[in-house]
Amino acid sequence: MVSEKLTVINKQGLHMRPARTFVQAMAEYQSDIAILFQGKRVNGKSIMQVMTACIKQGAEIELECSGPDEEQVLAAAVALINAGLGDEM
Amino acid sequence: MFKGIGVSAGIGIGRVYFVGQPDLDYSGVSFSGVEGEKNRLAQAVARFGVQTRELAENTVSRAGQAQGEILLGQIAMLEDPCLMEEIHALITDGLCAEAAVDRVCRNYMEVFAAMDDELMRQRGADVEDMKDRLLRILLGREGADLSSLPADAVLVARDLTPSLTVGLGHIAGIVTELGGMTSHTAILARALEIPAVVGVPDVTNLVQGGQSIIVDGSGGVVIPSPDEQTLQRCRRRQESYRQARSSLSQYAGQPTRTMDGHTVALFGNIGTAGQAEQVVQETGEGVGLFRTEFLFLERKNLPTEEEQFEVYRRAVQSLSDRTLIIRTLDVGGDKEIPCLGLEKEDNPFLGVRGIRWCLGREDVFLPQLRAILRASAFGRVKVMLPMVTTVEEVRAVRELIARLERELEEKRIPYDREMEVGVMIETPAAAMIADLLAKEADFFSIGTNDLTQYVMAADRGNRKVAVLGDPLQPAVLRCVRSVVRAGHEAGIPVGMCGEAAADPRMIPLLLAFGLDEFSVDPNAILRTRRAIAGWSMEQVAELTEKVMSCATVQEVYACLKEENCFK
Repeated sequence: MVSEKLTVINKQGLHMRPARTFVQAMAEYQSDIAILFQGKRVNGKSIMQVMTACIKQGAEIELECSGPDEEQVLAAAVALINAGLGDEM
Repeated sequence: MFKGIGVSAGIGIGRVYFVGQPDLDYSGVSFSGVEGEKNRLAQAVARFGVQTRELAENTVSRAGQAQGEILLGQIAMLEDPCLMEEIHALITDGLCAEAAVDRVCRNYMEVFAAMDDELMRQRGADVEDMKDRLLRILLGREGADLSSLPADAVLVARDLTPSLTVGLGHIAGIVTELGGMTSHTAILARALEIPAVVGVPDVTNLVQGGQSIIVDGSGGVVIPSPDEQTLQRCRRRQESYRQARSSLSQYAGQPTRTMDGHTVALFGNIGTAGQAEQVVQETGEGVGLFRTEFLFLERKNLPTEEEQFEVYRRAVQSLSDRTLIIRTLDVGGDKEIPCLGLEKEDNPFLGVRGIRWCLGREDVFLPQLRAILRASAFGRVKVMLPMVTTVEEVRAVRELIARLERELEEKRIPYDREMEVGVMIETPAAAMIADLLAKEADFFSIGTNDLTQYVMAADRGNRKVAVLGDPLQPAVLRCVRSVVRAGHEAGIPVGMCGEAAADPRMIPLLLAFGLDEFSVDPNAILRTRRAIAGWSMEQVAELTEKVMSCATVQEVYACLKEENCFK
């Protein structure tokens, strides 16, 4: 299991299109990816769970990945979020 | 005649046309085995994907990227492994695909409906639209084709969704039972310039297919089976609206300046976060007054700092890098606001109101200031204080803000260190000490509605003193002129957010006084820009000199009439 903490920087946070961008990218990997936010544990491949978690710009989250390609999925997830998920910052 | 919310301006005259609501009753469907149902579901989901992508493309070209995104988001929701798992679990329990989809989607609709965030609640509507379309595909009942509606059709429905309105052309009007200023129906109607009224309870039962009907999208009123007189009146309004619209559209997106190039700022006044978008659509250059009272109305508990922050942030983000001037809570004993515990006073307009009230209720004021400070990190936010009468009030607020800023620094929460604090000039006291206030404030905004009332000692609700309550009264004009001078002498900009800023009779005078910013009702933005463009600085200087030498308001009117200001 690998994990990393980071901050959500894009304007919309993990809502609508950025959420979609994120979960669709995560779907490509085998490992499980969870987003830890304010004590909640959210399945990073489920757009419903991600959206209902209300993760806004400025939120501090932790990504937790476990599985055969856990290093790759974590790196990809971190890169995506730090690049703003295609949204404005 | 039925009342609703006018969300798209204009008058529509036509005949009622009901949107075909396909029947979603699946009680006749028989269970064809777990594998059988899963297969049916998979095929329906595939068809849903194809259909939705087509719809999305169509919608983007008609109503913009954001509306198309909603449809693509529906596809993503159906691809959600957790959602699918839940549907499959119910199928395994013996439910047919329709029932399983219906049950799971309704659960999610409930989750979204219960959330505090307005954007989240709208996602609930998206889930419902997705559910309905998927059910239609499963049941083999596709929706009505709206692209072939006659031009005089007035669409009447319970609610309109992105998928239902694809292909909609320019029809006479739209009326729905549900919805508000920012619902899909409103956005689409404005984009297509179709007069629309939403929020008319039970309208689908109150009118009949083919019945003649008038839709007044400006007044928020719907008139079924109008008589000949009403019809003629509305046809005239329709024509003048069309003419005004086409002559105004050339001013959209233009800078606001006089004939000889003197530029001023033209902003909009708003009372909800959603209206910020309207200001942008009307090509306002910013928001000169964001009234915050709506956050406190009709609720038992105070809005939390978080809730306020979300609202302010949304408004800031709608405006991108345009200025947003937020007025702090402006309430007093004349208002009915349950969560604030306002005490009745004998003379509420001369009592504890505006900034006085807030300074005495830090439990309410501090969360609001904090929320505004936090929102300032997202754009260009300024704060404005209502009902100021002394320098102490401004200093007290600055101290509170400094304290809050220190707290935010400690917690590493971002905010705009340069956030400006301005003062509303709406009392005689403020006008008289404008020179002193100008040293404490970053800008002034003249609230002519209250200023006129206090200066002329005339209640604006009292018809008997209505003539006294006119900002064209010499006393008020002198007051405004001296406030602008005092502001400029201290080097700060002066704006106006009262109704006078949009008054074609006042505009030349305000220009001559040197007013820097005009903040008007969003619907008045384009015509204010046009009015300003009709003057040169030389003309307004000449006119204003004459007006300011008038001894009575009647002389002022006569002077202005000569110059044909009553456009």
